[in-house]
Amino acid sequence: MRMSTRKLLDRAFTLSACLAVALMALFLLFVLLPIFGKGLGAYVFRGTVEYRRMAADQFGRGDEARVAAEWREVQAARRPIYAAVAAFQKELQEMPAARRKELKPMFRDVREALGELFGPEPGEPLPALTRRVYGQTRWDRALVKAGEVLYEETWDYSSGDGRRVLVPRMPRFEGTALAPVFSLVGRDLKSLMHPRLTFYPQFLTDRSIDIHFFGGIGAEVMGTVYLALGAMLIAVPLGLTAAVYFQEYATQGPVMSFLRSCVNTLAGVPSVVFGLFGLAFFINTLHVSPGKSVLAGSLTLSLLVLPTVIRASEEAIAAVPRAYKEGALALGAGRFRTVMTVILPAALPGILTGIVISTGRAAGETAPIIFTAAVSVGSLIRPSELLSQPTPALSWNLYNISTEHEAVDEIRHVQYGMAATLVLIVLALNMAAILMRARVARRLKG
Amino acid sequence: MRKSEHIILSAGEKARRKILGFLGRSGLFAVTSVAALAVLAIIYFIARDALPFFREAGCSEFFLSREWYPTHQPPEFGARAIFAGSLMVTAAAVILAVPPGIFAALCMSDILPFGTRQVLKPVIEMLAAIPSVAYGFFALVVLAPMLQANGGPILATAWWAFALPTLAIGSVVAADLLTPERLAERAHRALRASLTGVFLLLSLGLLARVGDVLARLQISSGVNALNASVILGVMALPTIVSVSEDALQAAGRELREGSYALGATWAETLVRVVIPAALSGIFSAVLLGVMRALGETMVVWMASGNAAQIPKPWYNLLLPVRTLTATIAGDMGEADQMTGSAHYHVLFAMGLSLLVFSFMCNLAGEWVVARQRRKLRGE
Repeated sequence: MRMSTRKLLDRAFTLSACLAVALMALFLLFVLLPIFGKGLGAYVFRGTVEYRRMAADQFGRGDEARVAAEWREVQAARRPIYAAVAAFQKELQEMPAARRKELKPMFRDVREALGELFGPEPGEPLPALTRRVYGQTRWDRALVKAGEVLYEETWDYSSGDGRRVLVPRMPRFEGTALAPVFSLVGRDLKSLMHPRLTFYPQFLTDRSIDIHFFGGIGAEVMGTVYLALGAMLIAVPLGLTAAVYFQEYATQGPVMSFLRSCVNTLAGVPSVVFGLFGLAFFINTLHVSPGKSVLAGSLTLSLLVLPTVIRASEEAIAAVPRAYKEGALALGAGRFRTVMTVILPAALPGILTGIVISTGRAAGETAPIIFTAAVSVGSLIRPSELLSQPTPALSWNLYNISTEHEAVDEIRHVQYGMAATLVLIVLALNMAAILMRARVARRLKG
Repeated sequence: MRKSEHIILSAGEKARRKILGFLGRSGLFAVTSVAALAVLAIIYFIARDALPFFREAGCSEFFLSREWYPTHQPPEFGARAIFAGSLMVTAAAVILAVPPGIFAALCMSDILPFGTRQVLKPVIEMLAAIPSVAYGFFALVVLAPMLQANGGPILATAWWAFALPTLAIGSVVAADLLTPERLAERAHRALRASLTGVFLLLSLGLLARVGDVLARLQISSGVNALNASVILGVMALPTIVSVSEDALQAAGRELREGSYALGATWAETLVRVVIPAALSGIFSAVLLGVMRALGETMVVWMASGNAAQIPKPWYNLLLPVRTLTATIAGDMGEADQMTGSAHYHVLFAMGLSLLVFSFMCNLAGEWVVARQRRKLRGE
């Protein structure tokens, strides 16, 4: 090959190597930006008057008198709409049959959309479901629902595949009593809903109302905290002991190499198999709890993080300078005392790093807790129930409300908020571990 | 004098300490064994609940039939399509992740200065730390609608971005290789240039052809094997990068400098010398990537579409598939209602299959590493 070709290949190779790294960083951004960007929308958003009503009713938040005053104001602004609806209903009775047949289903749609936008009409009995008691609490959702009032969604199949087409309803009702509704909703939505920038930090701790239609993710957050802490409570003593034994006591031999390869194999077991094992062993064989429970989930998760804890602790112990250990032994300390007073304190930052990373892993795992600890709908678990009751958890409920919830599209903000919270918890733990490790590395360098 | 009495132990004290030491040691050993032997318990209990299925239904239906109707009367448990789905998604993920993974590892180990590497390593760890359910959520809510709406153009853009530079460089290299060395310099250059031109034209034709087909693709559902494979690839990347990077670092400086001294360029050194030396490490990196992709549950459950079918043709990644892990996670909710039902046991049979596969990967990895070690020792 000519030199020029070889140089070209060399440059291309360098470039693709750099591009590969850039691609990874870009993908990280590509994943994190939407999750964090939209996840923030669960904590900070433009809340409507309906949100403030809901918060006052359900959580006793906000100034009641002011909310009531605002509510009266909004009701006054909405009065023409309900008047128009009532007038049109009367008008409908007197219409020629053909026209009535045409407009009636459409009127029903409009009325339904109005109900979703503004909540039940004045004088209507309160619906049983909390989600129907209030209108749209978020301005972004209110805009979507207002769109449903103003436009009819149809599908155009002329080009083979279905294409969504929005047809304005206004022209169909031109000249009827209902016409003012469309112009009011189209132009004056702000005065009908009073959107205002709202901070909702309590999203992290609030209970959810009517399966996440309103409220926060407190039960899920606490479930995740309990599960992860429980797992570490079991895994750390076991893993640390094993690490000390492997590093300080074990002698080379077939038994040790067998135990070591067992630990390596444990690290390779798929996470869903841990879940199966937890179900078959902890619940169906040992009967640690009548059914799924936080205890069973923590036990299962502890096995999952055990190899990580062992490896990290072993590395930290191995990094302790030999001189420390020899100094302690020379001073007459026994082996056990050397481990407890010299080696473990010196290795502690490294061990903690491993523990923090494992905690993040335990908090983020889903598959092992599906059959052992997680429940889709549940309230905040009390400490006394930890041994016997299942709990909601961030990871499982993120799956659940983004796939199996009956109104997946209506609660996107909760899903994003939950995803962002979970990712933030895990990444914060990891960042803490990374910083800790950097400090340890600096200190070991001197 | 009392102090010295303390240092020289009496016989009784000595024996007491010896016994205590022994007991402590045994205790430590017992705890360690519990931790290590947990994996044996896992194998035992998964196998215990899987065996009733094989005993009753036999293996042939499970592995050969593709009729998966676990809730019908009588139920049918043909898992071939599900095995195929797992295989397909894993293979595609690894194929997508290995080339960029190795390139990124090369960049980390041989291009970037130490400081930059220290910054990038945590970024890669973060990519690995993001919970799988968050990746699954991203696949379901962001990637799937994107694929569904503009799948064709996205694929075509990716094809152009990847294939255009590759084919252009390929043309130059092929022209160089095909030009006979004994030609005079001017003739050589002329022939090379014209050959390059011909190859470029040919590859442009190919590019346009394939790009056109891709651009006109309609993806009927964004949750499909491609979506799951892309995300699984991203999830497997950090493992592949960090393990390969360690292997590349371990190949050592002398090897590289010897190669440079012989006049090889950087790329030639890496491809001909460093990568072969680090091959066992890279292989175990790929194996770890395979294990990560195969064992992953949430992403495939949320992003692969969960249709128990073998796509037609078999390489069509744009159709929904169903994997072992997703089947276990998705069906156990119903199957657990009746512990001991065939449906419950068949899910354990799938878990056992996953377990066996991950053991085989582990063994293969250990075997390769051991072989490499023997080779390096010169035996």
